[in-house]
Amino acid sequence: MDTLNELLNGFAAALTWQNLLFAFLGCLLGTIIGVLPGVGPVAGVALLIPLTLNLDPAGSIIMLCAIFYGTQYGGTITSVLLNTPGEASSAITTIDGYAMTKLGRAGSALTIAAVGSFVGGTIATIGLVAAAKPLGELGLLVGPPEFFALMVVGISLLVALAGKSMVKALISGALGLLISMVGIDPVAGAPRFTFGMDRLLDGVSFVAVIVGVFGLSEILSHRKGADAPLVHAPGFRSLLPTGKEWRRSAPAMARGTGVGFGLGLVPGMTGSVSSLLSYVAEKKFSRHRHELGKGAVEGVAGPETANNAHANAALIPLFTLGIPASPTIAVLMGAFLQQGLTPGPSLFTEHSDIAWAIIASLFIGNVLLLLLNVPLVGLWTSILRVPAPILTALILLFMVIGAYTINFSVFDVFVMIGFGLLGLALRHLEIPLAPMVLTLVLGPLMERSLRESLEISQGDFSVFINRPISAVLIALGLLIICSPLLKLRKPKALTEDPEA
Amino acid sequence: MTTESTLTQAPVRGRPARSVLAGIGAFGALGVYVLISSVELGLWTSLGPGPGLFPFAMGAVLAAMSVLWLLQELKKPSAAAESADGGLVVAVVVSLLVLAAVLDLLGFQLSMFLFLIYHLRIRGKRTWISSLIIALAGSVGAFYAFNYGLNVALPVSAIPALNLIGL
Repeated sequence: MDTLNELLNGFAAALTWQNLLFAFLGCLLGTIIGVLPGVGPVAGVALLIPLTLNLDPAGSIIMLCAIFYGTQYGGTITSVLLNTPGEASSAITTIDGYAMTKLGRAGSALTIAAVGSFVGGTIATIGLVAAAKPLGELGLLVGPPEFFALMVVGISLLVALAGKSMVKALISGALGLLISMVGIDPVAGAPRFTFGMDRLLDGVSFVAVIVGVFGLSEILSHRKGADAPLVHAPGFRSLLPTGKEWRRSAPAMARGTGVGFGLGLVPGMTGSVSSLLSYVAEKKFSRHRHELGKGAVEGVAGPETANNAHANAALIPLFTLGIPASPTIAVLMGAFLQQGLTPGPSLFTEHSDIAWAIIASLFIGNVLLLLLNVPLVGLWTSILRVPAPILTALILLFMVIGAYTINFSVFDVFVMIGFGLLGLALRHLEIPLAPMVLTLVLGPLMERSLRESLEISQGDFSVFINRPISAVLIALGLLIICSPLLKLRKPKALTEDPEA
Repeated sequence: MTTESTLTQAPVRGRPARSVLAGIGAFGALGVYVLISSVELGLWTSLGPGPGLFPFAMGAVLAAMSVLWLLQELKKPSAAAESADGGLVVAVVVSLLVLAAVLDLLGFQLSMFLFLIYHLRIRGKRTWISSLIIALAGSVGAFYAFNYGLNVALPVSAIPALNLIGL
């Protein structure tokens, strides 16, 4: 069967009323998570995994994907209206988005952002369709040494980009790997770091750790008097951009799609990097670059297109190679594994129907988001008016349910509380959390490919250097990690990636 | 805050903050512990790499980075981070611990109801009526929504009397 046929079959599967409902609910919940300043996409997706536990695999992944890209748009709303990004990849939008609000063009900014997100997301999904087959076939040829080397590159990039200090980022990465090693060792069957507790033989529950480190610690680190101010939703009439605004946005959207799509493919890049670089591109290439910062529509169109193109393009390495490119994708990968689906080249051979249904639902989700977000902007802003104690109580409720239902065990609730405190300590010490999530998911895969490689070579480490692809990748990873010693400066725009 | 602004704004103090030192100490100790226990697990077997090899590498990274971090701090102490709201941390953590401890005994509905009432009415100072409505929706409502809507079973009480009345 050719790709188009399989995609059409995917649409047939995705367009059942259940799956449409899941996509719709996912977009709705994702937007809410994006709007809420307290819950980022990583914790949000992890938190909602339990909702999908007993759904069929396709429905559950469709819903989680929809939540994931829903957050991308939801974050824009508070960036534009409140000057506070709901999540990190919309941070740069605050500059021109909020300036547009002050000029009375809030509605127009939101519409442009929604259309940009739609354009970026849809084009990236088309890219996924085109790349799935060839990349998947390539993926099947990749042996354990190459796979290991690819993960090394991804983790080193994230470590290098995360926060201000590479020392702290490496600590975070090592911590994630160590947590992932708790339990029965996959090769020899020996228990590791279980401290004699039977509960830990299966390892620490991934969802409980993520919800604790990202979600609970966020609530715990909330400072007094940090409540969101009142906002007013723009009127319906002001939602329509002028012809001039459309004309100015189009090239910015095109550039944003390019930037987001390209960076989305690179493991270790987060959506924030894409939106930042897209803003930089607008500053360089836009015809109205002198207006940027004063409410230029390009400053909204570019980054918002870029972060959604990124979000969808980042699914390409996940689907074809089984490598999560960013922390949120890592959580999504955790959900795949919970459902018994292993993302990667085998996904298209073993579960081709599910894979294509998910891809088709990405198109549907992008349409849903466009239809949902703009007209419902009044509803989204009203969420911000819910008093903080009520929001906190409800988020805690979901965290407890989320942690409990993974194994139906109170033990995981305690694990979540413990990791919440750890997350608080890490935040206090300014240790970035992003490398930890990535290594937490990749840990077992990395270890398996390392040990398989060494078994192939009978313990000879030169297996990583003798094979050309892995040699190049390992060298690249080392170069990235050693960049501070070589005095390679990272671009200034990347020094403040708030997602990392 | 960028590195530049830390440099210009915060006067260079003689000593690193105590919490930072405690953190470095904890990570260093963890690294050493992992190093020792990975050696016990076995770094290498006759078949190839053993179960301790990968943890050993991570323990080494952790220990080495702690030393580097300590050197960085001694050279140029970082500005103390804003501390969290201690009252909030204690209230949330203790209430969660109590909730987790009684969850299986009292069942999800009753224990979550009390938890929510504490956070809404007592800590959040919401009105009784709104607290009651939200707490009921979040406990009894969530129980039925998850049980029947999503097929996800939340715990019922282990006490027969409570169990009998549906809690």
